[in-house]
Amino acid sequence: MTDRKEIIEKTAQTLVKASTVFRPDQIEAYKRAAEREESPHAKWVLNNILENAEIAEKTSFPLCDDTGIPHLFLEVGDECAVPAGFYGALEEGVARGLRMLPGRPMAVKGNDEERISQCRGLYENSDALAMAPVQTRHVPGKDIRLTLMMYGGGPEIRGKTLRVFHKHSLDTVINEMIAWGTEGAKLLGCLPCVLAFGIGRSNYEAASLGMEAMAKGNFLVQSDIEKRITDAVNEAGFGALGLGGKTTVLGTFVKVGPQRASGIRVVSMRLGCCFDPRRAECLFEG
Amino acid sequence: MAVIKIQMPVDDETIKKLRVYDMVEIYGPIFTGRDAVLPKVVKCIEEGTCEEKGIFLKGSAVFHTAVSPAGIGPTSSNKLDIEGSIPALSAAGVKMHIGKGSLKKETVEALKENNSIFLVTPPSTALLTSTMKKKRVVAFPEEGMEALYEVEVEKFPAIVAIAGGVSIYDKQD
Repeated sequence: MTDRKEIIEKTAQTLVKASTVFRPDQIEAYKRAAEREESPHAKWVLNNILENAEIAEKTSFPLCDDTGIPHLFLEVGDECAVPAGFYGALEEGVARGLRMLPGRPMAVKGNDEERISQCRGLYENSDALAMAPVQTRHVPGKDIRLTLMMYGGGPEIRGKTLRVFHKHSLDTVINEMIAWGTEGAKLLGCLPCVLAFGIGRSNYEAASLGMEAMAKGNFLVQSDIEKRITDAVNEAGFGALGLGGKTTVLGTFVKVGPQRASGIRVVSMRLGCCFDPRRAECLFEG
Repeated sequence: MAVIKIQMPVDDETIKKLRVYDMVEIYGPIFTGRDAVLPKVVKCIEEGTCEEKGIFLKGSAVFHTAVSPAGIGPTSSNKLDIEGSIPALSAAGVKMHIGKGSLKKETVEALKENNSIFLVTPPSTALLTSTMKKKRVVAFPEEGMEALYEVEVEKFPAIVAIAGGVSIYDKQD
């Protein structure tokens, strides 16, 4: 297995890449959206976002000044012995990546009560920002794959996790997801949005599945459910930056988990912004 | 599409000619501020202490952003403390408010009364930061990245979203 130094370095580089580089499927989705857009203003916004991505990659500068909270998704091979200190090295790599980026210094000072009210202000250093708890899945093989995502704050205002009474109908659940997406998109400044949903048996599981959807979703490989939600929310016509047009949603990522015998499904939605998912991955070979 | 170049500070005649969906490029010094500092600037207006703090608002623009090592980029302008500052800032001479998101009808009216406008720009930090040539803290340095800054920009892109009592968001309400 990779040594500690390499884990730190690879994690740091992955954080910087997630924050500064659009993936090929993301670029292609924007190009296609700009091409089919009839509104010159919406087209301008979509091209502006593409130009921003070019500058960000070329200069290794953040795509967005809200550089986000680091979220790590790990796929651990069944034949892999996770080395001692692995998680600590990931944390150190995240801190190093935040210094390199640099991340926006937005960690809040103080004890439990003080952090809630933000009465003691912020740390001045980017690397004081703690990463979110790690999500893990097991997969065949000897390696560990790290997918690192940066979660901006705007989508957290519009996201939610809640039960939906399904009435034994897929349509009932999907229509509710469409309603959530439309309601949230209307208020989000950073359109087009990217909708990520997890559907599970508990609030915890649904949110975890939503994160998996963010980690694995591909704009160019969309399921029927994903297409249906994207098309329906796009009917609202809010358009890029709310200027009107065809592209309110760039794409939708859905992960459906196991379900329980019950009258409810728990749905978790992240109403991602125009740069979501800010994501990159690396491999630690076993 | 034609792009209108605007040199700061801007005069009333230039603002009067602008309509929603006009695309502009801004050149010169603009203020930046958001939730933390804009209510403090409003308080200075009320107390008549702006000039002694070096804040000259006539013909100015305020961009709703922090200025951090991670660059500049618009935050949502419909946050309570930001949108709430727009009427007083407009009355004190701010001609252009730059951010993102829809604003309330009352704010649209206040902008009209003061011949001020609201512009939106995509949250394209790498691009917007590349337009920034200089920066300096004007007031309230204790707010750190959310202090009142003046940044000098060149070719800063934006679209007029609210002007003359008309909002591009009206049809979505």
